[in-house]
Formats: sequence, structure tokens, C-alpha cells
Amino acid sequence: MSRLSLATHFVRRELRERYRGSFTGFGWALLQPLLQLAIYAFVFVQIFKARVPGADAPGYVPFLVVGMWPWVAFSDAVVRSTTALQDNAALIGKVALPREVLVLAPCAASVLLHLGGFVAILVALAASGQGVQLSRLPLALLLYVPMFAYTLGISLIFASLQVFVRDLVQMLAQLLTLMMFAAPIFYDRASLPLRYQGWLDLNPFTAYVEGFRYLLLGHGQLEISTLLILLATAAVTLALGHWLFRRLDPHFEDFL
Amino acid sequence: MNDLLVSASGLGKSYPKAHRPTDRLRALGRLLRGRDDHASQTVLHDVSLEVRRGESIAVIGENGAGKSTLLKLVTGVLTPTAGKVVVNGKIGALLELGAGFHPEYSGRDNIALAAALYGLSSAELGERLAEIIDFADIGPYIDEPVKHYSSGMVVRLGFAIVAALKPDLLITDEVLAVGDESFQKKCIRWMEDYLGGGGTLLLVSHSMYHVQKLCRRAIWLNHGQVEQYGDVFDVTQAYLAWNERKQAVAEQGSRPKSGLEFQISRFEINGDAGKQPQLVALGERLRLRANISSRDGRPPVVMFGLARADGTPVYGVSSEMDAVAPSNPGADSYVAEIEFDNLGLLPGSYNVRVHVLDSEGVRLFETEERALNVRGESREFGLVRLPHRWIEFSGGQHDRHD
Repeated sequence: MSRLSLATHFVRRELRERYRGSFTGFGWALLQPLLQLAIYAFVFVQIFKARVPGADAPGYVPFLVVGMWPWVAFSDAVVRSTTALQDNAALIGKVALPREVLVLAPCAASVLLHLGGFVAILVALAASGQGVQLSRLPLALLLYVPMFAYTLGISLIFASLQVFVRDLVQMLAQLLTLMMFAAPIFYDRASLPLRYQGWLDLNPFTAYVEGFRYLLLGHGQLEISTLLILLATAAVTLALGHWLFRRLDPHFEDFL
Repeated sequence: MNDLLVSASGLGKSYPKAHRPTDRLRALGRLLRGRDDHASQTVLHDVSLEVRRGESIAVIGENGAGKSTLLKLVTGVLTPTAGKVVVNGKIGALLELGAGFHPEYSGRDNIALAAALYGLSSAELGERLAEIIDFADIGPYIDEPVKHYSSGMVVRLGFAIVAALKPDLLITDEVLAVGDESFQKKCIRWMEDYLGGGGTLLLVSHSMYHVQKLCRRAIWLNHGQVEQYGDVFDVTQAYLAWNERKQAVAEQGSRPKSGLEFQISRFEINGDAGKQPQLVALGERLRLRANISSRDGRPPVVMFGLARADGTPVYGVSSEMDAVAPSNPGADSYVAEIEFDNLGLLPGSYNVRVHVLDSEGVRLFETEERALNVRGESREFGLVRLPHRWIEFSGGQHDRHD
């Protein structure tokens, strides 16, 4: 019980801290992905003339929004969580506290912030007649639950490894870029040559991107088997992260 | 209610070797396979400790003796490499300066953080917030980021929080040294009230004054091991004695012996001729006896001296000054014996010396020195208890109490 209230305290603190000192406050949570979206939309739509294949395919902008916002939430959460233990070294050395909370806070804060931005832009897109099925938004939000578990699992793994291997954070940007392009965020699965299409399923994030597109844009499929694998992957990743964290937890102080 | 708040047995802590990145990687691999990491630096070894409700225990020792490590193991900040700690009850800990404060947050935010860490709900915090701010007494700084605080203010805030939490066990690590005089007094008064109300204290301090004032028992750590554990007066005196002796040895080195004509063959303190320090209690009798062999059979002049372990002389007297001659039981052996009734030396550690001079008392032949520890409970200052009496006033009149 007190652990839960401690966790809420840390998440609240993280949310408040993140935009303290910036003029727009929470506005950045919306502004930053919007700017990114504007750049991508311009490059892909105006320069590369990107189109989503298929007869009744959605426009490229909603297609991109639905894939990119969850990804931004994931990558932001992982980047911030990876150094969480290192950043709080002073606290870890002097106060006894359940240290998972230190990783949970940035992770949850990122996912929550970008979830807010996601809902806001979906509403804006629906209002401008872009074919977003707002009625299925609650279902899409349900998909955030396994996504959060998966994100937290990865965050726990990276945060505890970072304590020992300081190079991890340097490699992280490259790793995430690779993972982003290996998921159908900027393109559709159907645009790939047939023999490469199966490879996408190796990336756990593919299922989330395609799941959100199916739910919100009615684009593509969401098979039950895909959904089950997605849930299993999330559960296993979280369990692995928790196990790893627990095992290394007693030794963090020695290596920080 | 369980009276045993902390029970630690066989505690050990070692730090791993982590200078190079490959060491860290290797350590990670070993930990993942569930094996213990190769330890290189042992800070604490086989320490056992039990803390019962209402006890007050001081942890003393040199820098690097493992005091802070022991406290961190008890609070759960560190995980022991060996042994285990069981804690019942809530701990309020002030470990080092700025314990657990986030430098970017205001004092108020840090209070909220500390309260959350301690497990207080926001309603409970609300009740005590005014009390904390009042106790800390740092004025408008309470809304400034902690990084702008002076070290004294940090301690004030830290102590104010701990005081308001009223933990079952209070752990403080050398925090009193930073506050100013008036805040120190306030803290000590608070701690005395807290102890009087059944609180339990585990204190690290280098101030033997604080230690003796607040604690009833003490544990002396030396190189990560328990050197002595027991009554606070015994342990602090032994520790100070050890320290003074160490200092004296470092200053003096060893002196060459030159005695040929006169030699000290035996030196007894209260009948004991061993090399180990002798123990006497304040106010007891001290008897020193030296056997001297004289090559030519001439009588020596013998001098006895008492000095504080750091070398400060306390008293010295020779057989010549008092016009006594050493007794002469054999042809070329002499015996000098002196007795101090009701020894006035205050508790602490001393050296007893005997010097042998030639018959004229001019040339020094040999000196022998032994350690003497005086024990007893006394908070008097200085080296010796001088005979004294207090003159009391009653009804405006001079009244003598003899």
C-alpha cells in the first residue's frame, strides 16, 4: 500500500519536474511530437509522395500519427528510464527505498504524457474529418496496458544494465533508431517485398503499430494469435525485467 | 510488541573491484549467473549487533573503520555481503550530509519526498508540516531549492524531518557536528526527550562528549571489526587511550637503551610485571615497584613519573627529592617502591615511567614505561581530581559544608 503511494508520489513529481522551468509547461508534450510529425509529414508526403497502399487506405498523416505517437512514448520512456538509477545515485546511497520506483516514475510519466498528446491529436484529426474511429478509442487505450508493461520491462532491463555497462546509453539511440525503422511506422507492411514482410513480426513493436492502426483507422488486421503473442511478449518482458532488476538490485550501490 | 528492533549477525560488507569497464562487465556476468562477486575491499567483517527498544548505542572508531557502512547496512541502504540484518519497526535515518535530499527541489518538496519515503500519507504530512518547518527554523529558505542551502541548513531540515517522524529507531551519522551551537543544543535536548520517552538511538559521532551524554552503550569499530562493545564509559576510554597511544608512538618512535651501570630488571604496577596495560579505578591505590641491578653495587636514584598517554607530564618525583634511599636486599640489587593512595587521575589512559639515574642523580641510565588505564565514571575535566569543596550560600549567609 505504501509502496503504491510512494510510486504515485514519484510519478507525480516526475511529471511536475519534467517541464518545470520551460515556458510552455505541459505544452511541450504536445508540441514536440507535433513538430516531429510536421517534419515527417512534409518530407514523406511532399517530397517522397508517400501514399498508403490499398483502395480505401487512410491518409498518410493519420497513418503516421497512429503509428508514431505510441513509438515516441515507448522510446522516450526507455531513454529516460535507462539513466534513472544513475541520475538518482545520491538518493540510492543514502535512503532505503524500493528502487523500482525510480525506474517506474520516468517510464510511467513518459507513457502518460504522450498518451495525453495522442488522445488530443486523435480528437483533432477526427474533428477535421480524417477518418479516425473515435468510438474505438477505449479499445485502443486498452492496448496501452500491455504496451506499458512491455515498456516497463525494457526500462527495468536497460536501467539495471546501465549501472554496470555505461556504454549502453551511448548505444541506445542507435538501437532505438534501428527498432523504429524495423517497425512499420513510416511505411505499410504491404509496401515491403513479400519475402521481407514476415521479418517485421520479429519486432515486438510491429504488433502495437498494426494493432493501433486496425483499431483506430480500420486499416489492416489484428489476428487473435498476434494479440496473444503481444500479451505474452509483454508479460515475459516485464517478468524478465523484474527478475533482472531484483537480482542486481543489492549490488547497484557498489557500482554507482 | 517486539523489543528487539535490530538484530544483525555476522555482518560483512565488501566492495567489488570496479576500476575498469571490463571489471564491471565481469562482475555483471558473475552476478547474473547467481554467484557472488569477487570482493576486493572489505569494509566490515563479522559484526554482530542487537538493538533493543529504549537502548542508546554509539558507534565510534577512526575514519574508515566501517561506522557509516554499519549504519547503512542497518537502514537497508546497503546489502550485506555476509550475514543478515532483521529490522522490526520504523527507522528514521540521517546518513551523512544532505541525506536523501534532491538538490533541485525546494525544502518543502523535499519534506514531502521524505515523508513519502517514510510511508506517511499526505494527510499525516499536513499535520506535521508546520512542526517540521518550525523546528528547522530556516525562514524563507524553506521554499528555495536545497542546493542553495548552507550545510547547516541542510542538517536543520534533515533533523526537523526525522524529529517529526518520531521513528522507533533513530540513526544519525555525525550530523550534529555541522549545526551551530544553538541548533546542536536543540537537537541534543530533543534527543534526550526522545530517549526519555522510550526512543532508541544509534549514533555515530567523533565527539566523545556527545557520545557519553546521549548513549549508554558503545561499540568501537576498528578496521571493520568490533574492537570492544559495552558500557559507553569503558569503551570510549579504551578508544581514546588507544588513540593517544597510537599518536605518541607515531611521535616518538623507539629510543635506544644505554643502561649498563644501572639496569631496571623488573617493573611492577600493583604487583603485576606484565607488558599489557594495567587497569585501576579512579580513587583506587596505585603501587609502583622497580627492581634495579647495579653493576658496581652503588645505590641508584629512582624516579617515578606519570604522564598522559599523549606525553603530557602529570607528576614526577624521585627518591632523591624525597630523601629516601632504595632498599638493598641483595649485593647489587636495589628495590624502589612508591604508593599513591586514592589515585586522583581522571579516567583515561596514562603512561607510568620509571627512570634510573646514577647515585648523584645526574646521569640517566634507563627508562621503562608501561601503560596504565584509569577507569571510572566521571565527567570532570582535566587530568586529575584536585581535592575541593563547594562553598554554598544559604539564606544570604556563608555556610560551610566540610
